[in-house]
Amino acid sequence: MANRDHLGEFEHIVLLAVLRLADHAYGVTVRQEIEERISREVSIGAIYATLDRLERKGYVKSQLGEPTAERGGRSKRFFRVTAKGVSAVNRAQHAFQKMIQGLDSVRSYS
Amino acid sequence: MPQERIGQQPPIAVWLVDQFTPYNQAEAIPGDLLEEFSDIASRQGIASARRWYWRQSVKTIAHLIADGLRVASWLIVSSTVGACLLGWCLFWLTETTVNVVLHRYHVYHHVSAPVFWLVYALLVERLVNPMFMGGMVGLVVKGRELPAAITLSFFIGISSALGLVLMATADTPRGFPSWHGDAMVHLRILRPLLVTTFLSPIMIVIGGVIVRKVRSAQNRMDKISG
Repeated sequence: MANRDHLGEFEHIVLLAVLRLADHAYGVTVRQEIEERISREVSIGAIYATLDRLERKGYVKSQLGEPTAERGGRSKRFFRVTAKGVSAVNRAQHAFQKMIQGLDSVRSYS
Repeated sequence: MPQERIGQQPPIAVWLVDQFTPYNQAEAIPGDLLEEFSDIASRQGIASARRWYWRQSVKTIAHLIADGLRVASWLIVSSTVGACLLGWCLFWLTETTVNVVLHRYHVYHHVSAPVFWLVYALLVERLVNPMFMGGMVGLVVKGRELPAAITLSFFIGISSALGLVLMATADTPRGFPSWHGDAMVHLRILRPLLVTTFLSPIMIVIGGVIVRKVRSAQNRMDKISG
């Protein structure tokens, strides 16, 4: 049966970044995590557009932190991955592994 | 230390990002940009941080427009169609009102009718009415006022430009001086049309910005009052 809730490549990357950052996942840290790990320059707008989409799908939840002076009195928006999000990541990883199996030209990282 | 950086970001970039940010991200996106700006400014200097801020702002706005069009596509399309219908109603209303005033006060005795129409009536039809249309789509598409106003202005801009090309290549209407032979007449008649054709899309966006400003102020007031 076709699963319409599949993850896009960037959605997958953002979800993994939020999982890695645990309680410290907000726009700046997610952006920096992606840049440092895969050397891909992304904008804050791309991060929030993706996180918003993931929140609508129920894969992440967000909450506002306390306003801080160094952010001009603005709050951070913290994200955490839901159980549905974790299973979506697992499903995507599983699908990748299945597709890679037997392909000599592609290295398996598991 | 980072507090010293507040107000040192490029003000136009800050303003633009504020206009395109949805209300649920109004705290997070500008706050994140300021936090990283402060960090880069203390490590690499203010000039480098400003360049980074501009680059991030342009990319962020592009993503916010694309996301707005994706999330609220049906609302934006229907409000664009609605605004076009409103535009036609306003066009008809302006023409009727101007006609009534012209015939009642015999303005044609004092000025040339074509010049009056092209300069005064067109100013209302092409500048004031589009601002109302931009305001209307802004009212309908809450939180994505600017992407909606830009979509409408793009549509109106292209259709106006096409109309202008068709008009310039068509025969001169009865009662108007011929614009094919005399270059000065051609310029005198087409110049206001040309100017207003390019100004109409800008006025639509200004209408959207006004609605956005009013809503942002209301949101701030609501937040302060708890």
